[in-house]
Amino acid sequence: MSEFVDECRKEWRRLGVPDPIANEMAADLTADIEEAESDGGSAEDVLGNSAFDPRRFAGSWAFARGVTAPPAPPTPPSPNRRWPTLAFALTGCAALLAFAAAVLVGSRQSSASAVSVRRFVGGPKSVRVFPSSPVVLQHFDHLPVVALVAFSLLVVGVVGIGLAVLLGLRMSGGRIGPWEIRRHQAQTGAHWT
Amino acid sequence: MSVMTEGPTYGYEMTKRLRARGLSIVGEGSIYPLLGRLERDGLVETERVASDGGPPRKYYSLSPAGEHALEAGKREWHSARDAIDAALELTKVEV
Repeated sequence: MSEFVDECRKEWRRLGVPDPIANEMAADLTADIEEAESDGGSAEDVLGNSAFDPRRFAGSWAFARGVTAPPAPPTPPSPNRRWPTLAFALTGCAALLAFAAAVLVGSRQSSASAVSVRRFVGGPKSVRVFPSSPVVLQHFDHLPVVALVAFSLLVVGVVGIGLAVLLGLRMSGGRIGPWEIRRHQAQTGAHWT
Repeated sequence: MSVMTEGPTYGYEMTKRLRARGLSIVGEGSIYPLLGRLERDGLVETERVASDGGPPRKYYSLSPAGEHALEAGKREWHSARDAIDAALELTKVEV
């Protein structure tokens, strides 16, 4: 259980709790947890639900002792911060939908022109997306425009969705720590491997 | 605070005394912040006592201000309980 006490110590250091007080609280906590374990119990018998959230526990104890400011409540992301995420997500989704539509249109034109090309020209031509690009699109006489538009939409869609996911993860903290996993296991009985 | 009238005690022992009386308040939170608040408000006195083989433990006991606060809290509780009991009795009659 020293891992729990270590996490508390980190939090007290972060909050600027004076060392003598932090040492005293850590010693009391360690002694009580060890006694509970020697009684056949667990840290939960001493700490209750706080056993799954050392940082909150450490913060509330330090505040109760009057050595730190009150713990700040978690603040939901403001509408201003949600805007870019929403814009990227919507742009990405719209671009992917347009890409799908372009592919559908392109495949119809492709099959129609394939027949005509085979009959009158003798086969498909190929074109590079950009002059130095390794991506080569097979196309027929009037297809490059559709293919280029579709490819551009695909890029915009993937980049948009990717940026939205990244921003969303940053806003939510994007981390699942060991204490969240333990809390989940305690609440659901599930075990993650 | 009431369990401290049995004698000076430390955090874990206090949770055991409470459980023995059928109160498991620790399930909802921890007793340490509560003790910290009582100490900050001067309602308890603390003393470091050497333990067998381990580091000294911090024992809590009621200060004179804590004893007054406990008596005031008991009066408040009894008064509230009596009012609620009276209201429940009234409900029983009406039913």
